[in-house]
Amino acid sequence: MSFITWQYLLFLPLVLIIYWHLPGRWRLWLLLAASYIFYGCWDVRFLALVMTTTAIDYICALSIEGKRMAAGRVLLLALLPAAWLSGCSLFLPAAGIHLVIITVAAALGLAFVAGHELIWRLGGENRSRSFLILSVVFCLSILGFFKYFGFFVDSARTMLEVLGLQTNRVLLNIILPVGISFYTFQSLGYVIDVYRGVSPACSSLLTFATFDAFFPQMVAGPIERGRHLIPQLEQPRAFAPEYLHDGVRLILVGFFKKVFVADNCAILANYVFDPKTPLNGYWAVLGALAFAFQIYGDFSGYTDIARGSAKLLGIDLVVNFRFPYFARNPSDFWGRWHISLSTWFRDYLYIPLGGNRGSKWETVRNLAITMLLAGLWHGASWIFVLWGAYHGVLLILYRVVPALRSLGDENASSRLRGVLAVTLMWILTLAGWAIFRSPNLHELGAWLAALGHWQTALALPWASSSLWLLIHVAPLIFLQLLTWKYRDETNLSRLAWPVRGVVYALMVLMIVSSTAQDTEFIYFQF
Amino acid sequence: MKRLFTPAFLFAVLLLSLGELGAHLFFAKDISGRFEYGYNPDAGFDVRTDGTVHLFRAGGRRFHRQTFPRQRPPGTFRVFVIGDSVPRGPSFKGAYPYLLGEELERHHIRAESVNMALPGYGARRCQVVLRKALEFEPSLIILHVNDSNKYEDEREYRRSLEFKSWHPRNWPMKVFIFRRLYEAKMEKVFWRLLPEQIRLKFAVNDPDAQLAANPDPKEVQARVRLAQETTAENVALAREHHVPLLIITQCRLMPGGPRSYHFETHGLDALDRSLAGDGVAWLSMKSVFSRLPDPRPYFADTGHMKEPGHLLMAKAIVHKILQDEQQLGLAALIRQAKNGGG
Repeated sequence: MSFITWQYLLFLPLVLIIYWHLPGRWRLWLLLAASYIFYGCWDVRFLALVMTTTAIDYICALSIEGKRMAAGRVLLLALLPAAWLSGCSLFLPAAGIHLVIITVAAALGLAFVAGHELIWRLGGENRSRSFLILSVVFCLSILGFFKYFGFFVDSARTMLEVLGLQTNRVLLNIILPVGISFYTFQSLGYVIDVYRGVSPACSSLLTFATFDAFFPQMVAGPIERGRHLIPQLEQPRAFAPEYLHDGVRLILVGFFKKVFVADNCAILANYVFDPKTPLNGYWAVLGALAFAFQIYGDFSGYTDIARGSAKLLGIDLVVNFRFPYFARNPSDFWGRWHISLSTWFRDYLYIPLGGNRGSKWETVRNLAITMLLAGLWHGASWIFVLWGAYHGVLLILYRVVPALRSLGDENASSRLRGVLAVTLMWILTLAGWAIFRSPNLHELGAWLAALGHWQTALALPWASSSLWLLIHVAPLIFLQLLTWKYRDETNLSRLAWPVRGVVYALMVLMIVSSTAQDTEFIYFQF
Repeated sequence: MKRLFTPAFLFAVLLLSLGELGAHLFFAKDISGRFEYGYNPDAGFDVRTDGTVHLFRAGGRRFHRQTFPRQRPPGTFRVFVIGDSVPRGPSFKGAYPYLLGEELERHHIRAESVNMALPGYGARRCQVVLRKALEFEPSLIILHVNDSNKYEDEREYRRSLEFKSWHPRNWPMKVFIFRRLYEAKMEKVFWRLLPEQIRLKFAVNDPDAQLAANPDPKEVQARVRLAQETTAENVALAREHHVPLLIITQCRLMPGGPRSYHFETHGLDALDRSLAGDGVAWLSMKSVFSRLPDPRPYFADTGHMKEPGHLLMAKAIVHKILQDEQQLGLAALIRQAKNGGG
């Protein structure tokens, strides 16, 4: 179920009404059921993957803390996904679940139980570490198979063919489960935190399952930390009007960014990055600009709706964006863009690799590895790897080139230098988005080539389309100016209430002027 | 417990409510039938208490503004022209319905010719206009039949159904100002700013593109059949009300052929010839223009005429009326009109 469907606009109030009328832990049962319904609306089969991640990480986290679960219970939990698939196969024949899939799910469950028992029996000082590895191996294997199997098989085949070797085509059409990267990383982060002793293991399966599948942020973040979300889920609370005020405001701004800004910019971006489109320099730049605002409106809009939905339940989610297009340097950009992912990579990859504590070249290596993997996280494609590498290079250049380092210095007081730094970073970000949006390397080459041809008879006149873009971007920029102080477009508290009222009314009008598009969120594919 | 709604929220609701209320209070007439897209029988017809009928732009009907008495004055030959953008013409006075009135007067026939043609109207929506027009005592109805608006008829019908539906996705669109704003943006800003290639490729809620993209020949055939049936129904309707009908069939001036142009009728001539008979006459645009040595200066594009083309049509229609006055049962009426009601 997507946020921008009428189903969600009926689903959310229904959940809220029941939620605030239920006592204590019944609310968690409701949230879990709602989350599974929310996710199951895409594909009920993939709920088995969510259950697998939940079961593995729940058991491993407890085991890391030295709490051993009864073998029967472990077996039951490990076989739950297979049982779910069997149920789907029985009651939903249209889902097309073959016996092979159920068998594989059961075998995986049994393999996990065997691994779990083995680690407990072997004991030793490294038991906690072994459970962490067990969790990481299982979760990343699932992610790797569903997200990257096809990519690696294709890449290997291409490489072999380049070397003149014949290959057989592997026919395995794997559907990418929605949001798999998000909930896998959230769950993994929790297990690592438990291993580090930063966060206690959650003893309640109900709470942990709700944390893993919490519907407002499950499919596209923000990626929450266990220590932030789990206590909020467990804490009993009474309804407060602030939840309604903040929640509705966040959702309104989210809809504005998604429906008015992103979906309208998408019309131009999709045209420019269509392989059949003849481009000149104007259109290439226009397309990159349109995509920059599309992806920002789309993703930050999603985050705002997620935060708003959670707020209506009395739960705070982390802030994921802080005016990223005003960043002065790449490091600043990643501190403002998809903050929950950048901090995840920082805390669970970059710092464990050594961060910037070693020599300059070790720092460069760590940045490169982190950014390559961050790129690959976005999708199984060389384009995303290239995009990650591009940002890695930017981070390294700003670190090793003194002039860039000095220009991007966030503490510099010169206003002119600040404007220059933001402008340069904005141009570099645009180039990055062109890489990100290009369907393949060939099309990226075509986009770059278009920048050298500003007079192409084939390309369409671009002036009126630029006006279209401006019409849909200007209100967002105006909103950012209004909320500049807090670096959060949803925080309008600086404004007098009549002005806020006018802003809300205008947003509603802009949203309704752009409805009926039902465009999916970009980040669902990740 | 603090207030459930903030003053800002309430103010926003108030502003939107005032906008909606204002639209209903001050633009009630324009709103009437707006979202039935031409399928509302009364839209654009203002029957006033002083006994006149006023045609105006409303409810998806872009009538030329005209006023005529509700009851036909004695001794007046009243003609209503129903059709699409072709008879609506480049301007009110440059279109053949107006010129037809002048031409009839030139033949000393006291006439009242009303242009009820509307751009984009196919046979289906013309029928709705025809039903309304029959209430105002016409002496003759001229039905200009074209086949190029079937898609628009279909599209607007779907839109009218969509808007009537209480499906949750339509709830916001029940608010007039929301709906109006949405349409203004999609129909004006959208169309004007984005090049056609982009619109067609990534059309957002564009029923034209949706329909055009559907290559199913069975569906296309079904739509053409529907148009044929509707025209036959229109003839039956006019006969039922004992109102004479003159069917004019559209032709298109296309490039190519031995004279570097040729006429296309898409089989309309055959269709409407078959409908002619008692009380129903038929005139083919092709027959009017094919007599000319070079008809191209008379056309603005493949289908729409320039003013001289409209004048030519007006003359041809008068000639046809006078020629077929017996078949149409108009002889007595025309005689009366010539005598000025005496």
